[in-house]
Amino acid sequence: MQLKLLTILVLAGVCLAQQDRPVKNPYAGDAQAIELGRVQFRMSCAGCHGLHATGGRNGPDLTRGTFAAGDTDADLFQVVSNGVPGSEMPAFGARMEDEQRWRLVSYVRSLTPHDAAPIAGDAAAGEKLFWEKGNCGQCHRVGTRGSGLGPNLTRAGRQRSVPYLRESVVAPNAQITPGFDTITVVTHDGKKITGLNKGLDNFSARLMDLSGHYYSFQKDDVTSIQREDRSLMPDTYRGMFSPQELDDLVAYLAGLGGGQR
Amino acid sequence: MKLSGRFAAIALLLGATFVRAQTNPGEWRNYGQNPQGWRYSDLTQIDTRTVARLAPRWIYQTGVPGKSETTPLVFDGMMFLAGTSNNSWALDAHTGRPVWHIHQTPPTPLDLCCGEVSRGFAVHGDKLFRVNIEGTLVALDIKSGTTLWETKLADYKQGYSATAAPLVVKNLVLTGIAGAEFGTRSFIDAYDVETGKQVWRFYTVPEAGEPGGDSWSGDSWKRGGASTWITGSYDPELNLVYWGTGNPGPDMDGDVRRGDNLYSCSVVALDADTGKLKWFYQFTPHDTHDWDAISDLLPVDLTVDGRQVKGLIQANRNGFFYTLDRTNGKVLKARAYTKVTWADGIGPDGRPILIAGQEPTEEGKFACPGLGGGHNWQASTYSPRTGFYYFSSSENCHLFYKSKQDFTAGQWYQASNVEGPPGTHGTGAILAVDPTTGQTKWRFDLVSTPSAGLLATAGGLVFTGDREGYLIAFDDRTGKVLWKFQTGAPVDAPPISYALDGQQYIAVAAGPAILTFALPAAK
Repeated sequence: MQLKLLTILVLAGVCLAQQDRPVKNPYAGDAQAIELGRVQFRMSCAGCHGLHATGGRNGPDLTRGTFAAGDTDADLFQVVSNGVPGSEMPAFGARMEDEQRWRLVSYVRSLTPHDAAPIAGDAAAGEKLFWEKGNCGQCHRVGTRGSGLGPNLTRAGRQRSVPYLRESVVAPNAQITPGFDTITVVTHDGKKITGLNKGLDNFSARLMDLSGHYYSFQKDDVTSIQREDRSLMPDTYRGMFSPQELDDLVAYLAGLGGGQR
Repeated sequence: MKLSGRFAAIALLLGATFVRAQTNPGEWRNYGQNPQGWRYSDLTQIDTRTVARLAPRWIYQTGVPGKSETTPLVFDGMMFLAGTSNNSWALDAHTGRPVWHIHQTPPTPLDLCCGEVSRGFAVHGDKLFRVNIEGTLVALDIKSGTTLWETKLADYKQGYSATAAPLVVKNLVLTGIAGAEFGTRSFIDAYDVETGKQVWRFYTVPEAGEPGGDSWSGDSWKRGGASTWITGSYDPELNLVYWGTGNPGPDMDGDVRRGDNLYSCSVVALDADTGKLKWFYQFTPHDTHDWDAISDLLPVDLTVDGRQVKGLIQANRNGFFYTLDRTNGKVLKARAYTKVTWADGIGPDGRPILIAGQEPTEEGKFACPGLGGGHNWQASTYSPRTGFYYFSSSENCHLFYKSKQDFTAGQWYQASNVEGPPGTHGTGAILAVDPTTGQTKWRFDLVSTPSAGLLATAGGLVFTGDREGYLIAFDDRTGKVLWKFQTGAPVDAPPISYALDGQQYIAVAAGPAILTFALPAAK
């Protein structure tokens, strides 16, 4: 009985708490609030989401108009306020006033390209290209399928913009996903080994080549260790795929994780 | 007469002995070892030959998460740690076991620039002094850790915080303040060691009508920043305290604070007894790149261009190394030690020779050094043995963005941000610089930006740590690596050295732990 009463009280409290806070953004579409939100975003959010909110070191692209934690303004407000448990998204509820968080929501909303053209490609055809002609699963994982050598693409459609996804296919060195740069080691007998940077410090390097072989070298034992801001991904896909096939592939990637289709 | 001659000979042999006369080399009693902050140990047991055998002696895990930037104090068989999030410990220096631990829970919410760090204690008699992160100065009983007095420096709700180790000068305990990213107005304070009562305060931003007040447009001085978040140094001979100041606020929008913005990005020389300004030198007038001038300022007697001078040396965040005359603040030498894109040098009048069009913009303006500057706060060291000054440098550039931002008290007030140009990553170096010329004598390249401070010893060694967790010993003349140890956590603190029972120790904080090292006992 006491438990039931407590439950009712708690539920009532939750309802009251929800009523305390507007579920509708008081600054929706407000140009001045959007500008203030932009300034706030640069200082508080850009470190992870990038200065232009297109995704950065850890944070996903926020210009897609679709979000993992829900697509309403109230959902976004909740995420900014309470963070996302299990992710690197912190809670800003104690650090920002309500109006600051609503302004941030307004700014993020303003980034959605409302007039963006629908993605031209056929996602189903793109999926087939991904796994067969491109053999992308040799390095990338989607769900439980594929390899973990390259970036996991399971949620790529939610995390990255369409232009970013297209660029990643045709120009993989343009922006390297953090943690996926390259190390080249030259041994004393002249052998050159290039692989994914699995760890570099002032005295040693650890790398994994495209075949999944792991290497560990001490700096003193080799001729040179060079870190390079380039991807192990071949830059040959522009020539491999026709324009239509590229559209198909990007359409498939853009849909991963429930992203835009 | 004979005795006097002998004393004179000893003084000559020891060179700049006046600065170490009051320091027992077996102890580490000050944040910077001696009041001048040289971080130089006279101990020689661990030297270029024996360092290869250096091995861990004990490790103490504090259990407090977050990085540690603290300099331990060691004396009377005890090690005192001022840790993160208002934690303090006294450890038995022989065993590493705790004797006391106190924790004062920081208030919430507490909006900070750079974490709940503390960089160390100061000591006077039976009292330890530290700052708490919410901007208080605390005196603790050295035997029990009991709080003897606590004085509020400023209101944390306005954005103030405190992280620097205090500096004891005679019967005063001096401290700075942090918070320039929140539109605060900073200061340097002195308090009576016995009572905690304020003896003097020097505002690092003059108000309108005061000397220097006209270097701020309108009422922008009220939000002028110029925080004092790293411990200054003291010259007993001149009775002057030298303290570096941080960026003006807001960081990157200089339009709202036209003028030189004194005394931001400067060194101020204050009378230690009164806090009166004797002279100042501004390294970066009207800074818009967050190049605080808070790095160590070391009083060192030098021969510059054939002339004996009382020098004051600093590797500034703006990319230049400076040797000043510490009696008047005149620039004696200034030389870039890293890539610099904003100035062609320092002119005869001491002002930087600016390259036009380097200010942050809405679209982003590329500049070197980057946001953290070349050399940042990480402790540096001067070795009278080599005459070299050792410090770390970031090799990093950024795109600096400017925005218009309204000021709200207690809110972040930076007026934009930076990002690294695509396809780049920051690296760093450890540098040995001759302060009489500004020339780099050796460098050790780092794969990441630097994180740890430095220590030089009479054993011919320079110690530092790195972001990947190594504690490293270099030959002080060549930069050759003679020893290294993987601590298991990033090293964000400076190493120290002291002696215990006839053995020389090296100690350093790495992650949440403190590690000590010594040579194996003779069999």
